[in-house]
Amino acid sequence: MTGTITGADGRTRFQTTVARVTGHQLFWPVVALVVLLLACGIVSPGFLDVTVRDGHLFGQPVDILRQSATPLLLAIGMCLVIATGGIDLSVGAVMAISLAVSLTYIAESGTGSNLSTALTGLFLGLVVALAIGVFNGFLVTVLGIQPFIATLILMIAGRGIAMLVTKGQITTVTSPPFKSIGSGFVLGIPTPVIIAGGVFVLVALLVRRTALGMLLESIGINREASRLAGVKSRNITWFVYILCGLLAGLAGIVYGAPTMAADSNNIGLMKELDAIMVVVLGGTKLDGGKFSLAGTIVGALILTTLERAVVIFHLPTQVTPLFKALVLIVVCVAGSERLRGKLKIRRTSRPVVAAEVAA
Amino acid sequence: MSPTSTTDTAPAAAKPVVEMTGITIEFPGVKALDDVALTLRPGEVHALMGENGAGKSTLIKALTGVYTIDSGTITVSGAEQRFDGPADAQAAGVSTVYQEVNLCANLSVAENVMLGHEVRLGPFVNWPATRRAARAHLARFGLDIDPVSMLASHSIAIQQLVAIARAMVVDAKVLILDEPTSSLDKAEVAQLFDVVRQLRADGVAILFVSHFLEQVYDISDRMTILRNGRLVGEYLTSDLPRLELVSKMVGRASEDLADIEAVARRAAAPSEGAREPVLQALALGKDGSVEPFDLDLFEGEIVGVAGLLGSGRTEVARLLYGADRPDQGTITVRGKHVKGASPLGSLQRGVALASEDRKKEGIIGDLTVRENIALAMQAERGAWRRVPAKELDATVAKYIDALGIHPANPDALIKNLSGGNQQKVLLARWLATAPKLLLLDEPTRGIDVGAKAEIQRLVAQLASEGMSVVFISSELEEVLRLSHRVVVMRDRHKVGEIHNGPDVTTTTVLETIAASGSAS
Amino acid sequence: MTSTQTPSSTRGLAPTPPPAKTPSGLGATARRWGHRVADRRYLPVAGTLLTLVLILVIGQMRYSTDTRSFVNMRLFSNLFVDNSYLLVLAVGMTFVILTGGIDLSVGAVVALVGLVVAKLLIAGVALPLVLAAGVLTGALFGLLIGVLVHYFQIQPFIASLAAMFLARGLCNVVSVQSLSIDDKGFTDLASWRLKFGEGRDIWYVNLSMIVALVVVLVAVYLLHYTRFGRTVYGLGAGDGGQAVGLMGLRAARTKVWVYVISGTCAGIAGILFAFYTRSGFNLTGIGMELDAIASVVIGGAMLTGGSGFVLGTVAGVMVYGLIQVLIAREGLDSWWTKVFIGAVLLAFVLLQRALTSTRAGRRRSNREESPGRSRRFRAAAAPPPTADA
Repeated sequence: MTGTITGADGRTRFQTTVARVTGHQLFWPVVALVVLLLACGIVSPGFLDVTVRDGHLFGQPVDILRQSATPLLLAIGMCLVIATGGIDLSVGAVMAISLAVSLTYIAESGTGSNLSTALTGLFLGLVVALAIGVFNGFLVTVLGIQPFIATLILMIAGRGIAMLVTKGQITTVTSPPFKSIGSGFVLGIPTPVIIAGGVFVLVALLVRRTALGMLLESIGINREASRLAGVKSRNITWFVYILCGLLAGLAGIVYGAPTMAADSNNIGLMKELDAIMVVVLGGTKLDGGKFSLAGTIVGALILTTLERAVVIFHLPTQVTPLFKALVLIVVCVAGSERLRGKLKIRRTSRPVVAAEVAA
Repeated sequence: MSPTSTTDTAPAAAKPVVEMTGITIEFPGVKALDDVALTLRPGEVHALMGENGAGKSTLIKALTGVYTIDSGTITVSGAEQRFDGPADAQAAGVSTVYQEVNLCANLSVAENVMLGHEVRLGPFVNWPATRRAARAHLARFGLDIDPVSMLASHSIAIQQLVAIARAMVVDAKVLILDEPTSSLDKAEVAQLFDVVRQLRADGVAILFVSHFLEQVYDISDRMTILRNGRLVGEYLTSDLPRLELVSKMVGRASEDLADIEAVARRAAAPSEGAREPVLQALALGKDGSVEPFDLDLFEGEIVGVAGLLGSGRTEVARLLYGADRPDQGTITVRGKHVKGASPLGSLQRGVALASEDRKKEGIIGDLTVRENIALAMQAERGAWRRVPAKELDATVAKYIDALGIHPANPDALIKNLSGGNQQKVLLARWLATAPKLLLLDEPTRGIDVGAKAEIQRLVAQLASEGMSVVFISSELEEVLRLSHRVVVMRDRHKVGEIHNGPDVTTTTVLETIAASGSAS
Repeated sequence: MTSTQTPSSTRGLAPTPPPAKTPSGLGATARRWGHRVADRRYLPVAGTLLTLVLILVIGQMRYSTDTRSFVNMRLFSNLFVDNSYLLVLAVGMTFVILTGGIDLSVGAVVALVGLVVAKLLIAGVALPLVLAAGVLTGALFGLLIGVLVHYFQIQPFIASLAAMFLARGLCNVVSVQSLSIDDKGFTDLASWRLKFGEGRDIWYVNLSMIVALVVVLVAVYLLHYTRFGRTVYGLGAGDGGQAVGLMGLRAARTKVWVYVISGTCAGIAGILFAFYTRSGFNLTGIGMELDAIASVVIGGAMLTGGSGFVLGTVAGVMVYGLIQVLIAREGLDSWWTKVFIGAVLLAFVLLQRALTSTRAGRRRSNREESPGRSRRFRAAAAPPPTADA
């Protein structure tokens, strides 16, 4: 834009701002979120109210935030893995294993009310999750197995392992300090929100304050060019699988702490798919490359609000997947329209070959 | 554009089986082919010659129906054709053997030969009969291999012959061989040529593409030469001396770039021997890529590498940089022996390579200019120690200014820049690592004349500041204008080293390239 | 043949005798078959069969009594009664995986088809129509995925994930309670069986087994005796179907069809599962797609596509079923199954990885092809040069 100060110029500047905002990758996801929230607010007038009781925050928005913590934790790790062009299917099973390890330790120790016992349980759960991340990363980077297959192994075996840990029982313990990880409050804000927020800030700093984010993207966009530029893709890729495993473990503990029951069959079931969906909704493409961590927050909020909206609209909760499917299909087809546009610019009538090559 | 130099006086030429005239194909922003003509006659081997970007593969794809033409006519066996996909071309009798991509390595030999023409028994494929038919077709080309065996279990040479067998299942009138010999050894080439001669005797018209001059002279009867998407002319092979062929392929664009030459010549000619070489390669080689070669590179010196595409010039650079692992020989950088060469190690030793394939091996399309410049510098420091923003901004600003990168916006996505500007960004990436030795593989390909001159000027300036530069280009004049010394490559061998001087001309180099004597 | 041929055969090149001399005699035939058996295409399947035999031998040694052998017709009969639906699913999945794709929706489709069948029967629709509607439901979901994958270029993973959510959601629209099926015709079909043997050795063949067998035979026919089947394999050759397209085969259509086939198989499996449970339930089949994928991989197919066999898949399903039998006989809890399946899967993935790397290694050493060169070839084959190329 030129610097002349005229009315017309002001208008152009406004227009460019509008174009910038609507062109942003998060524009439509944010619009979807706002529309959802408003719709809920209209149907249930008290929906957006937040009250303070006993110094703690309560209300639907707070609940949505609290429930977004788990998908957000999963999606942060998943987002980085997807940026490298990979995927981690094992996160749901890792949730179950971590929770099982933590709760089994606390149950065996018999001193669940001790803070130190709870912390040790938490620590052990996270260590196991970390080890699983190391294993997945090893398969992917050192052995060169496709990420999909490599992580499928633990997706299948993981729940069995969790059952082994709990000896097939639903281990239930009483440990107020552990429980507070999932249901407590810190300064009036639910603990899971604090944890997820803290992790998000830490990872965002890690990724954007160091060069990790840029190198991840360069690996995901063009692995060979990155190699020739000296990027050590193996170490970096391995690292994100470890981080993804660790965060999945944390998510499992945060998710299962309020009930204090390690139900290995159901904790984290299908959560890997939710996490992938959150990442995709957040504007990150599954092909790898550019990623948006902020997008995972929006994606997680859409997911949780969608689930909540189904309740608000008095629909049976079980139809939630239907809406998930619709959102996913719309987002993907909308995204691929651009692809088709590109194909059209290319020389037209060579349907078979051009399409195959592009695929 | 007029194909003036056509010396088409074929004795009693048979009626052409393929006639392509006025072929023009445009891609967004570029004319890949501009009014090109090609004529194929039955019973002849016709070589299609040209350097990279000359339009050979585009022309082939037009003839095989992969691309649709924007104007011009294609006549096959007297009937004008409008191909809409490879199947149409095959139906018209035009079969192609591409670079090994048109076969499925995971299927059996018989399936690869016969798919689409299987022998049927009711609704079933009659495999025994199909295999027998495949065996018969293979036998026609002297191939006695188990039709049930998986294609991937055979050498590329065999796969190539299987591809030809497949192409001839339909009794093709025209067979296109697109670089069939690029990964064959001498004996395998001989066997392939036996098959080609046999087909020629059978009256098939064969279009042959190869970068190996010896082979072209060995097998072809006639050739069509393209350059920069335009037709240079059609010649009888026997009428065209090698030297003339090479100079026609390479072209002699007389760009007014004398000042660059002056800069280059002004750079103090390095006194060899007096100093330690920046990099020394001894008997460095890799099977099937480059035969072992020796090379010393000195400070402040520009070493040009001349040779046609496929001569091994790119492979030399990749070996020196460590992009490929050599399987013999040693590299010494400033007196230190290098173990296990890798890109990162090379960067840390002060060696950088700007690859010839800008799209696949250079740019990170979705990242910004700033990030693309920062990449190598950052990789050297590792993921955790980010280049400080101030330092990076200063570096980026410096190179955008010094190289004249347009648009001068560090936050623009590199994929949206023109080819020349992408190249400048990549140069900035390597220069930002402050290399002592810069390997440039075709840094001026596919960019406009102005940008080309700027890059040449930059190279000369870098050398005068003490950097050692290896400059690879298919444009001989460019190489000669810039280099102090020229390494000549042919057929994967280093065949000579010429000290540049006033008496050295493109002809000197061309003669070395075209010399048919045995490689040193 | 030209007569001036030099007999200079070298590594890789077969000797070039005059074609008249075709190898004959038992020796040559035996050698030829020896090569075929050692062919790497068959190695993973050989591994599967070996595993199968190993499990049977272990079972025979541990569980046979003086009066009863572990390995008997009844074992196999039960195996197929319990796993016929999985077999059908896995066969459908084999088509998709051969092209290098994946179908995550099949478990959810099984649940949906079960519910659709139950609901329609309760509504009094004629049985043949109901069965047709069930299969059609599956086929439609397959078509949806195929269209998303091919025409919208959405990755198979995401496209089939969306279909999975859709099917689950629709399940819950149909009913959130288990619908038991009391239709006389349906239960008659479900309980129909042929009895063989006497006394304790008695064994059965029921309708599900026959349907599964027919599906297997049709799949073998399609994959191994038609051009379509070879195109399916060709699509998995690792170049995105480019070779298949250049060979003049119908790549696009085939790509959509494999998903339709997988969906149809899911529809059939849904009906078989309804036979098995005599009900429709919305939580049926969670994770069933993983069982199917695992069976296919254990059966020797490469998840990268292009390699695998229907009969390998059959063996894979049997391994899967036998692991469950063994775990039940050992008195171990059922979750051990998942651990074992995971371990077997890991072993097979590692085996495949070892095979592919030696394959690549052999090709390279065979041909001494430098990465730089091969890259250029591929670049040369890829369409259009853009502005500056």
